[in-house]
Amino acid sequence: MTRATRMIAGPLGAVVLILVLMSLAMIAAGTSPVDGFTALFVGALGGRNQIGETLVATTALLFPALGICLAFRAGLFNIGAEGQLLIGGLCAGALGAVLTVPGPIGIVLMLIAGAIGGGAWGAIAGWMKARFGANEIIATLMLNFVAAYFALELVSGPLKGPLAAGAETAWLDPKYWLPTLLPATRLSIALLLAVALALVLQWTFSRTVFGYDLRASGEAPEAARRSGINLARLTWLALTLSGAIAGVGGATIVSGELHRFNTQLSPGYGFTAIAVALVGDLQPLWICIAAFGFGILESGGLAMQASAQVPKDAIHVIEGLIIFVLAARRYVATRVEGTLP
Amino acid sequence: MSELIATLVVLTLIKATPIIYAALGGVISERSGVINIGLEGMMAAGAFFAVVASFATHSPLLGLLAGIGAGALFGYLLAFAATRFKVDQIVAGTGINLICAGGAAYGLVVIFNQPGASVQVASLGHAFWILIVLAFALAATMQWVLYRTPWGLRIRACGENPSAVVSAGLNPLALRVYAVVISGALAGLGGAFLSIGELNLYSDGMTAGRGFIALAAVIFGRWHPLAATAACVVFGFFEALQFVLQGQISWLPANAMQALPYIAALVALAGVTGRVRAPAADGVPF
Amino acid sequence: MAGEPVLSLRGIRKAFPGVVAVDGVDLDLFPGEIHALVGENGAGKSTLSAIAFGELQPDEGTVSARGTVGLVHQHFELIGRLRVWQNVLLGREPHRGWRIDEVAARERVVAVAQRNGLEIDPDAFVETLPIGVQQRVELLRELDRDPAVLLLDEPTAALAPAEIESFFATIVQLAARGTAIMIVTHKLQEVTAYATRVTVMRHGKVVERTLIGETSIDAIARAMVGGELPAVARRATTQMKPGLRVRDLRAGSGATRLHDFYLDVRGGEIVGIAGVEGNGQSTLADALAGMIDYKGTIERTGTIGIIPQDRQREALVMNWSLVENTLLGRQHRKEACRGLELDRGRARTEALAIRERLDIRAASVDMPVRTLSGGNQQKLVVGRALIDRPDFVLAYNPTRGIDVGAAALVQSRIMEARNHGAAVLLISFELDEILTLADAVIVMYRGAVLGSFGREAFDRAAIGRLMAGSA
Repeated sequence: MTRATRMIAGPLGAVVLILVLMSLAMIAAGTSPVDGFTALFVGALGGRNQIGETLVATTALLFPALGICLAFRAGLFNIGAEGQLLIGGLCAGALGAVLTVPGPIGIVLMLIAGAIGGGAWGAIAGWMKARFGANEIIATLMLNFVAAYFALELVSGPLKGPLAAGAETAWLDPKYWLPTLLPATRLSIALLLAVALALVLQWTFSRTVFGYDLRASGEAPEAARRSGINLARLTWLALTLSGAIAGVGGATIVSGELHRFNTQLSPGYGFTAIAVALVGDLQPLWICIAAFGFGILESGGLAMQASAQVPKDAIHVIEGLIIFVLAARRYVATRVEGTLP
Repeated sequence: MSELIATLVVLTLIKATPIIYAALGGVISERSGVINIGLEGMMAAGAFFAVVASFATHSPLLGLLAGIGAGALFGYLLAFAATRFKVDQIVAGTGINLICAGGAAYGLVVIFNQPGASVQVASLGHAFWILIVLAFALAATMQWVLYRTPWGLRIRACGENPSAVVSAGLNPLALRVYAVVISGALAGLGGAFLSIGELNLYSDGMTAGRGFIALAAVIFGRWHPLAATAACVVFGFFEALQFVLQGQISWLPANAMQALPYIAALVALAGVTGRVRAPAADGVPF
Repeated sequence: MAGEPVLSLRGIRKAFPGVVAVDGVDLDLFPGEIHALVGENGAGKSTLSAIAFGELQPDEGTVSARGTVGLVHQHFELIGRLRVWQNVLLGREPHRGWRIDEVAARERVVAVAQRNGLEIDPDAFVETLPIGVQQRVELLRELDRDPAVLLLDEPTAALAPAEIESFFATIVQLAARGTAIMIVTHKLQEVTAYATRVTVMRHGKVVERTLIGETSIDAIARAMVGGELPAVARRATTQMKPGLRVRDLRAGSGATRLHDFYLDVRGGEIVGIAGVEGNGQSTLADALAGMIDYKGTIERTGTIGIIPQDRQREALVMNWSLVENTLLGRQHRKEACRGLELDRGRARTEALAIRERLDIRAASVDMPVRTLSGGNQQKLVVGRALIDRPDFVLAYNPTRGIDVGAAALVQSRIMEARNHGAAVLLISFELDEILTLADAVIVMYRGAVLGSFGREAFDRAAIGRLMAGSA
């Protein structure tokens, strides 16, 4: 297939499919596609607040999507971004509740905590795969559930904020809130961080030795092994970094959006991010665009539900369909024996 | 004390059953060479459609059939994509999981007018014990079929070397489709047990990762139906434990207990280091 | 030969992306004949036999057969984890009700074997059998179907000389009973010894078709190649620097385990490892390349260049460009990087140089390697292995599955490396290749050294006997 055909069959085709399916979902719910899409786009982009919310969703999706992209490039399927995001947010929220350092330092520390938390969560699966050949798909998914219960336990008890009504950490001191990017909205500079991260990843993949090794291990594991690449180490590293990136995402949600941590942090961003990564063709810059598209769907979807009575879960069904259709692109290279599920 | 043990045994069997169905589905699918990551979604579809059918017809039996049918349908979707289009089976399975989870949530609003959970419907009542016994009977049957019948031999051949199956004058793709549809049907049956066997409604996320725990059981059981079933009983035990021990052990928080089945699955995955050999052609599009 | 052909191919054409494998071929097979289909690698023989069997559909042309057609593949289509009888009877399993009748199955396999003068253990797991016996299993699978036509693709590639004799005894017996036999091969001695007719293919077309009595090995060879082969120049060297020293090497497990393996390769010489496939060559190559653990001594100084035996799986990333593949295996060198980044400009220059030196047919070095033919891919692998002028070269089946021209070029580059002082270890399943290139030959059998010969003492018959395990 030529490059052009691949683009049409892949991401562009996905976009067209999304539009078609959304129209069908709207009709099924008793609304005309015109009304439905109007509600969607007005809800997503119709004003400063709306654009702010859309970009907030974009940012929240972009971090885990970049992490998932990195893992995919290494031939690994990380469906644990949801859990890694959660643990990252937990670490950031817990740390932020007890910090006394100046604001900017505190924010940086929180982001680092998020990276460490998410990274550790990814590292568990990474270690299991590298050491035991354990299937990372099952492992990361199991860890999602463990993360949920673990986080819930901690914020119901030891980490619960002293003044908190429910299971959550203490509200962050405003000096630890990520600075707002768009005044009078919830959008913080986290968006800029995410885009910067995308640029760094793009550079890493295409120009660095590490990126070369990573891609080789994902596309041709046996050839990579014989070229001197330590597959076990790379596997572990890839899943750890993948988790760390998702963890930073969780930290930015805590610092920039919610200003505290609770387990309602993410309405499934970790799973939607899989679709974002695939629609973005596993290229960090395209993923930014895909994240914006899905951000529109997520925030516009709420408005669409309210005004046009189309349940927002339609969007999740469509995300699933997109992933299913994009499976034709064959992302994950054939596994090395001993690591098959 | 003996009452406690009796409760534990009964609960273990009840909790293990849906996982057993899903795991048997996983075994037959992977033995034929197709990785079915979509078991979770097929279970959810089975659970949801069982409730919908029971709601519409007031017949739990029809609900059961609908659940099986829904699972089989999604199984066919995966089978078709895998054999006809040679797609990445893992990504496709993930897509199915999201479609079913989202679809069920969407359906809850559209059909029952309430998000989160359905209304209560006619359930199997005490007849659900038949399904529990059936699960173990099916495990034994599948073991026999795989290792003693011509069809079972051919399925296993598909999973090892589909080219050899072609050389023998058979069609490995068709055999894989049968296997994966059966796999979906079994997962759907497991899901139906969850919603109208054990309970009498569908709630968002009720499958709670069982489709993946089942896959861990498949690996731990080395793709043998009876061994995988034994692993499922162990996982069911951990799930049952939290109900029996509630309040009994003060230092072990409820959340930790709820996480036990997942941690057990993780340990199982780690415990099969290197000695495991999946069917040689597992997951490789042919 | 009786009148009506039992298999007829007319006007067969089959193209793959980038190459026309079969270009307008007619072929008839008659009952009782042993028909040799010869040609060099890439001539289209395997494709044609796959079409004749029905495994592959031609783009144009017709195939008509009066009776069952059986095909024994070059790379067996067996299931290692199943037993012999399961492999032989897959799809035709004897059964009682729903259950397979294992007793009947075993008996039937033994019966087919005996009827054809073969011995087999029906219960053995195929993956535990030596390659020669595995081939027997595949043969039995086809024979059980009582074929009117039997196609055999490179049937003696993995057999030792003694096994080849008994193999042909079976074939001759089958032909005498009326089966039409077609053997795809490039081993001309066997063709003249056993075949009744020969068809020569070159570049997808039939170039010659004669009775064996009316032709000779030389005539067939000339028809196969269609011209002179480039000569490989050998030059004496005075390099006596020790290159590789192996003592008491133990590695691997199972049938391909190495034990007490020893080896010396000096700078400026090519040592050839002769042996039938499956006698531990891969274990040796992996141990020398540092891919597996071993006990014993491997002493080697300096740099190493490796030409692996499976280029698509072990040496290349098929979707990557020539430039990116040029870096593979060399990306951690100091010269390849500038800080964290790879020096792509340098890689590009190197890729262009390799393309030039090895005469690789590629319009651009930015195209994915999978668009190149097998020969060109292999040339890239070889060029890359030799570009840094390594002190030691490990070449494992360096000309496997590539066309004559590419093979000759690869061989001369390897010779050139030797002439410049490198120590070269050449592991090959083609004895001719070793006899052409090597300064010394070591015969490997069941993971051990069975004998060695200096170039002056090369004796094909003696080497052949050692390869088969007899002294």
